[in-house]
Amino acid sequence: MSDFLTYLSNITLPMIYGMGIALSIFAVTFVCSIPLGFLFTLMVRSKFKPIKAFADAYIYVMRGTPLLLQLMFVYFGLPLLPFFGQFFIFDRFTAACIAFGMNYAAYFAEIFRGGLLAIDKGQYEAAKVLGLTKFETMTRVVVPQMIRVCLPSITNETITLVKDTSLVTVIGVAEILHYAKTAVNRDGGPFPFFIAAILYLLINFVITMVFKKLEKKYEF
Amino acid sequence: MEIIRVDKLNKSFGDHHVLNDISFTVNKGDVVAIIGSSGSGKSTLLRCLIDLEKADSGDVFMEGKPLIKSGVYPSMQEIREIIMRMGMVFQHFNLFPHLTVRQNLELAPKVVKKEEPLQMNKRCETYLEKVGLLERIDAMPSTLSGGEKQRVAIARALMMNPDILLFDEPTSALDPELTGEVLNVMQSLANEHMTMVVVTHEMNFARKVANKILFMDAGKILEEGTPEDIFNNPREQRTQAFLSTVLREQSKKVKKKYRLKKYL
Repeated sequence: MSDFLTYLSNITLPMIYGMGIALSIFAVTFVCSIPLGFLFTLMVRSKFKPIKAFADAYIYVMRGTPLLLQLMFVYFGLPLLPFFGQFFIFDRFTAACIAFGMNYAAYFAEIFRGGLLAIDKGQYEAAKVLGLTKFETMTRVVVPQMIRVCLPSITNETITLVKDTSLVTVIGVAEILHYAKTAVNRDGGPFPFFIAAILYLLINFVITMVFKKLEKKYEF
Repeated sequence: MEIIRVDKLNKSFGDHHVLNDISFTVNKGDVVAIIGSSGSGKSTLLRCLIDLEKADSGDVFMEGKPLIKSGVYPSMQEIREIIMRMGMVFQHFNLFPHLTVRQNLELAPKVVKKEEPLQMNKRCETYLEKVGLLERIDAMPSTLSGGEKQRVAIARALMMNPDILLFDEPTSALDPELTGEVLNVMQSLANEHMTMVVVTHEMNFARKVANKILFMDAGKILEEGTPEDIFNNPREQRTQAFLSTVLREQSKKVKKKYRLKKYL
């Protein structure tokens, strides 16, 4: 029995360390991509055509190519660029955060755009006749309603983000899956994969709960 | 005193000439009812007065300041200052659904006028009491009935101390038995000499509360006058035809106990 426990802790502890890395990537991506995504939403709605075209193209490219490809491009591809390559040499963790942040910003941008579409024109008109500026209308009237509309989709995307962190193993960032695979290769037997699954489920359990709370809070 | 003067206002949506050389004035204390069949341009006219639609040519003066002069609009800041002197009540209420009744009323005074909270709370309660909804002060709009929502919307407009209130078919989205409570509030505002412009299909209201009626047809003001002029001696055949259809429909549709005389 104690043999088993020793084995269990031997394979689990590295995976928990990997979970820390995965959570860091998750946190950095989440915190950066939401404001960046909202910025792209506003750019897509801009009346100034070049800005709109740029944002449209950005979203098209980021959603239209695999995240795995983007990840490899940032880490392996950018440094190989002629002339500029030397400025784009990142360590693994930074490269992962850049690729994830840019990719998820595109998805969040589309989610926010959908949320804004759901808001009745009457809300803007009511705010205008009450004398609110465009900025005040956004912050006081539109965005709070948009958040409520978007929350279920944001939950969805956030859970996907947690699982996608497993992709960073291809550029050699040691996260949960990396340690699980090492353990399986070494010991033979699928047991470490189960533990990896449990760790992901744990993270997503917490995330689901937090978002349920948020949805309650924004309910009206 | 003149509050609003409109002179030769024109507006087109593509080929459709919605407003055709509209001219009229609204004096302080006037209750102007704009009537006419749907598609005659009533709502568009009202929306042009508060810059929710841009007119193509003509003048609109609000208390002497131009909102549009010979088809040219002033700067955004000037427009904003002008429309802040007006209040507007919409057909679909347009309350802010994420805010309580109190927050709906206090949002604009707090954000736009930076009013002091204590005084603002007091005014909020006064206006809610006036529309008979003080006990719903902490309710969310989704829990209110249509009539209650519209009364909150009126109180919200009053919070900005407007010199004129515009109503865009304020009872058209309500069940017949709820129109009375809203019309009552509007009646009491009229009694306090609030200047109002009301686009409405409620002929009884127009007849009894308004002191000036504009009958619109196909983008033009076809006839203008006191309720007696319009309802008892309409000059134009179009007006007669409209009134006889609408009045017949309304007396059929509305049950006797809901008719206007009950709350007048």
